[in-house]
Amino acid sequence: MDNFISFFEHVNENTLPMLWEGTLATIYITFLSSLLAYVAGLPLGVLLVVTSKVGVHPIVWLNKLLGFIVNILRSVPFLILLIAVLPLTRAIIGTTIGTKATVVPLFIASFPFVARLVEASLIEVNEGVIEAAWSMGSTPFQIIYKVLIPEALPSLINGAAIAVTTILSYSAMSGIVGGGGLGDIAIRYGYHRYETDIMFLTVIELVVIVQIIQAIGERWAKGSDKRLKLVAGRGLFGLGRAPWAGE
Amino acid sequence: MNILRTEHLKKTFPEATSGQDSCVLDDINISIEQGETYGIIGRSGAGKSTLVRCINFLERPTGGEVYFEGKAMSALPKAGLYKTRQSMGMIFQQFNLLEQRTALKNVRYPMEIAGWSKKDADARAEELLELVNMGDKKKSYPSQLSGGQRQRVAIARAIALNPKVLLCDEATSALDPETTKGVLDLLNEINRKYGITIVIITHEMSVIEYICDRVAILDDSRVVEEGPVLSILKNPQSETGKSFVKPEFRRIRG
Ligand SMILES: Nc1ncnc2c1ncn2[C@@H]1O[C@H](COP(=O)(O)OP(=O)(O)O)[C@@H](O)[C@H]1O
Ligand SMILES: [Mg+2]
Repeated sequence: MDNFISFFEHVNENTLPMLWEGTLATIYITFLSSLLAYVAGLPLGVLLVVTSKVGVHPIVWLNKLLGFIVNILRSVPFLILLIAVLPLTRAIIGTTIGTKATVVPLFIASFPFVARLVEASLIEVNEGVIEAAWSMGSTPFQIIYKVLIPEALPSLINGAAIAVTTILSYSAMSGIVGGGGLGDIAIRYGYHRYETDIMFLTVIELVVIVQIIQAIGERWAKGSDKRLKLVAGRGLFGLGRAPWAGE
Repeated sequence: MNILRTEHLKKTFPEATSGQDSCVLDDINISIEQGETYGIIGRSGAGKSTLVRCINFLERPTGGEVYFEGKAMSALPKAGLYKTRQSMGMIFQQFNLLEQRTALKNVRYPMEIAGWSKKDADARAEELLELVNMGDKKKSYPSQLSGGQRQRVAIARAIALNPKVLLCDEATSALDPETTKGVLDLLNEINRKYGITIVIITHEMSVIEYICDRVAILDDSRVVEEGPVLSILKNPQSETGKSFVKPEFRRIRG
C-alpha cells in the first residue's frame, strides 16, 4: 500500500485539471485531423478504386501517379515526417508548437493512410452488383455514390475507427516536437522529469479513449450492415443508415 | 421486325500467359424478334455470358456489330449507351441486388438514376413488387430473402423502366426446380402482359423447352444450330444439339 501511494508521489491537486485539459486537446487534435484526413483521403481512396484498370472509370496513368504519391507519403516514418514538415507548419500556422500546429503533420501522415483504408473497403464491393448497376444504365458517377459507397458503408465505418485510433496514437507521438495533448504531458513529465506516475496515467487514458472509439466504430459498423440477418434494419443511435439513403 | 441483331459479332480476350488472344465469340449472327422469348443454350465456358454482355455492351465486342431497334450499338456515345441500357433490363444467376438496400429501394434504383421524383419512384416500385408477388417483403433486405424471392425482386428492378428487352443470364441456375418454374412463369407473364422481348441464357434444355420460342445453340464460341425450339427438340442437327436433347439434361417439366 505504501509502495502504491509512493508510486503516485507526483499526483497532486493540479494533476486532474492538467489531464483533463490534455484529454480535451487530444480529442480536439484527433478529430480535427481525422476530419481533414477524410476530406482529402475519402475522395483520394475513391479515385484509387475508380481509376484502376478494373475500376468503373479506368485512367491508368492517374491511378499509377496517385498510388505512387500515396506510397511515398506512407513510407516516411511518422517521427521523421513530424520533423520534416516543421517549416511547412510554421508557414501555415505561424508556430510549430501547440495544439493547432500538431494538426499539420497529422493530416499529412494520415490522409494517404485513410485513402488506402477507403480503397480497401470499396474494392470489396461485389462485382456482380456493380455489373447490375451498369446494366441498368448507371453513369460511373452514379455507381460511385449510389453503389460503391453505400454498399461499402459498414466497412468504411470500421476503417474510420482504425483511422481515428491510429491518428490518436500519432497525436501522442507529436508530443515530442511540442504538440499539445496527452502525448505532450507524457513526454514532459514522464521523459523529461522522470515522473513515471503521470506518464502512467496518460497512457491509461489513451488506452481508454482508444477502446471507446473502437467499440463505437464496431457497433456502428455492425448495426449498419444489412447483410447480417439478425441486425438488419438497426443502426447505432439510428446512425447506421447512410445520410443520403433517405427514409 | 427484329429488335436485336448481331452481325459477325466477335470477342477475343488477351491471354496473359501465352500472349495470344483467346477467341470467346466467333462470327455470331443471331436475330431476335420483337416480343419473342429467345433462348441461348451452351455448356459452361461456351461464351454465353460474354455474348449477352456484348449485347448490352457491358463488354465491348472486338468485331462485328450489335443492332438494337435497328441502331448500331457501337455508334452510341457514352451517354447514349447509358440511356439505351435503360431499355434493356438484365438479371443474373447471383441476383446481384444491392445488399444494403431494402427490396423496395432496390427496385427504386433504376428510377433514381433516371431522375424520377421520389414519390413517383416509390409508387412505381411498390406496384412492381406487387406484380412479382413480393408486396409484403418490400422492407426486407436481400439477406432476409430466399433465392427465388431475390430473383423476383431483381426482375421487378430490371423491368422498372419498361425495357424493350429483358436479358436473363442463367437466371434460374441457382434455384431449385420448383422455384425455377415459378420464376419462368413470371418471365412468361411479363412477356405476355407487356410484350417485353426475353432472352434466356441457360445450360438447361428444360428451361428452353419450358419457355422459349426459338433457340440458338452455342458451342465453343460459335452458334452451331438455331431454330424453333420444337423442331430442334424433335430433330437436332448438331452433335451439341443432340446431346442437349437427351433426357438427362432435363431438370424440370411443365
Ligand atoms: N474478362 C475475361 N477475360 C478473359 N477471359 C474471359 C473473360 N470473360 C470470359 N472469359 C473466358 O471466356 C470463356 C467464356 O466465358 P463465359 O462467356 O462466361 O461462358 P459461359 O457463360 O458460357 O459459361 C471462358 O473460357 C472464360 O474463361
Ligand atoms: Mg455464364
